[in-house]
Amino acid sequence: MHDLGLIGFLLILIGLGFKRPFVFVLGYVYVDIVSPQRLSYYLLNSVPVSLIFFVLAVIGYAAMDDKSGARLSGRQAVMLLLLAWCGYTTLTADFPAAALTKWDWVWKALTFAIFLPFTLRTKLRIEALLLFMVLSAASLIIVGGIKTLLSGGGYGALDLGISDNSGLYEGSTISTVAIAIIPTILYLAKYGTVFPPDWRVKLFAWALVFACLLIPIGTQTRTGLICIGLVAVMMLRETNRRFLYIAGVGIAVAAAVPFLPASYTQRMQTIEGYKGDASATTRIAVWRWTWKYVQDHPGGGGFDAYLQNHLVIHLSDTDKALGGSETVNSVEYDKARAYHSAYFEMLGEQGFFGFALWAMLHLAGLFRMELLRRRFRKSTDPGEGWISPLATALQHGHIIYLVGSLFIAIAFQPFVYMLVAAEIGLDGYIRRTRPRRAKRPMGRPLPTPPPATAATA
Amino acid sequence: MIDTFALALTHGLLLLAAWRLFRRDDLDSDDPGRARRAWGRRPDA
Repeated sequence: MHDLGLIGFLLILIGLGFKRPFVFVLGYVYVDIVSPQRLSYYLLNSVPVSLIFFVLAVIGYAAMDDKSGARLSGRQAVMLLLLAWCGYTTLTADFPAAALTKWDWVWKALTFAIFLPFTLRTKLRIEALLLFMVLSAASLIIVGGIKTLLSGGGYGALDLGISDNSGLYEGSTISTVAIAIIPTILYLAKYGTVFPPDWRVKLFAWALVFACLLIPIGTQTRTGLICIGLVAVMMLRETNRRFLYIAGVGIAVAAAVPFLPASYTQRMQTIEGYKGDASATTRIAVWRWTWKYVQDHPGGGGFDAYLQNHLVIHLSDTDKALGGSETVNSVEYDKARAYHSAYFEMLGEQGFFGFALWAMLHLAGLFRMELLRRRFRKSTDPGEGWISPLATALQHGHIIYLVGSLFIAIAFQPFVYMLVAAEIGLDGYIRRTRPRRAKRPMGRPLPTPPPATAATA
Repeated sequence: MIDTFALALTHGLLLLAAWRLFRRDDLDSDDPGRARRAWGRRPDA
């Protein structure tokens, strides 16, 4: 039944795609996020669903879509370079077999992100992409939210529908992504045209935001808590009634704390006492190792280069039994510890050059969204009212990702690259439909002003 | 049970969204007059 439902769903999408090929693109987005083939018990798990949708999306675009005015943007070029560079580091990787396994999904994520902006030709397509991303992620988030409400969850224990701990189904990743899409959910609830805002849309959106906030609690990830704090601060920037907002957030936090599971509060307290926490101290040891490694190997070691690390971890803890005055030091040894940070993942695997490309891609995205946000903030044209809020929502989601990924190795998370592609798509759409008037080149005289109509002397 | 509920809800909404998108000409062009013809359909259809 379950499997038949999923197959029926995919077949309907394929059927709709033959008239509107953009539906194939949306189908790929859905398949990539939800992985229905992994939710399936027998029929779908042997079919290359993702490949089918990708091929259909590319053929649909090539055969039917309008391509006038399409051009490769700077960020797409950066992704192309990054893709080529990753290919090179995979060929020369320290662990060729492991590197090849990661390359297998990284190239798909990057290729799709390079392709996606070409298809985002209309305002509705940008909205449709975001809607599909949000609703697809919602299929995991709603499960996680309800289970957290019922059981309280646990670190690495929240079952999101499949026991597989990869992709978005991994605890830290989903808790960062769940918080990163909150601004987009709120945007869609206010400016959406597929589901125009009414009480049902608002109710669903706020329930989904609530579920998103529950994910970091259910997965008990500290990164998620940091991201929640960040989203609260960034939303302050957009609120008109700031005091009311601050008071509201204060009341909500005070009301929520008594309901938090004890295991959660205990784990969150380790954010400040990180020196006694093996997980946090190990991260710092890995980061040190990576920094040293990249000095000797400026080109990086290829995917999964962390497998070669050997770490000596110095732990210090205050012994409560001795009245909190004695510090107990201990040493632990570890090896092949993962990066636990996208920044160090990029440095260690792709070296300084790969890191620079990656950083450029993300910083350029934030910068471009800021430009759009400011350019259209005061626009009085009713047709442009959506632009600044959308640029803001995408930028906020992007910032949350960049902060969350300080502590999680999600440099190539496909969901994030779709967000990047949505930003490039929005940018390209504005460039095509609302070009800026050309600036006067330096040294060229100003156009002759119209004759004055009245003397003011 | 919870899994099935969440899957049914989100997939239902995804289908509804896909259907509504399917019926809108501004999906393919902001200027619906310039919308491209569908596969296999004659230009004047």
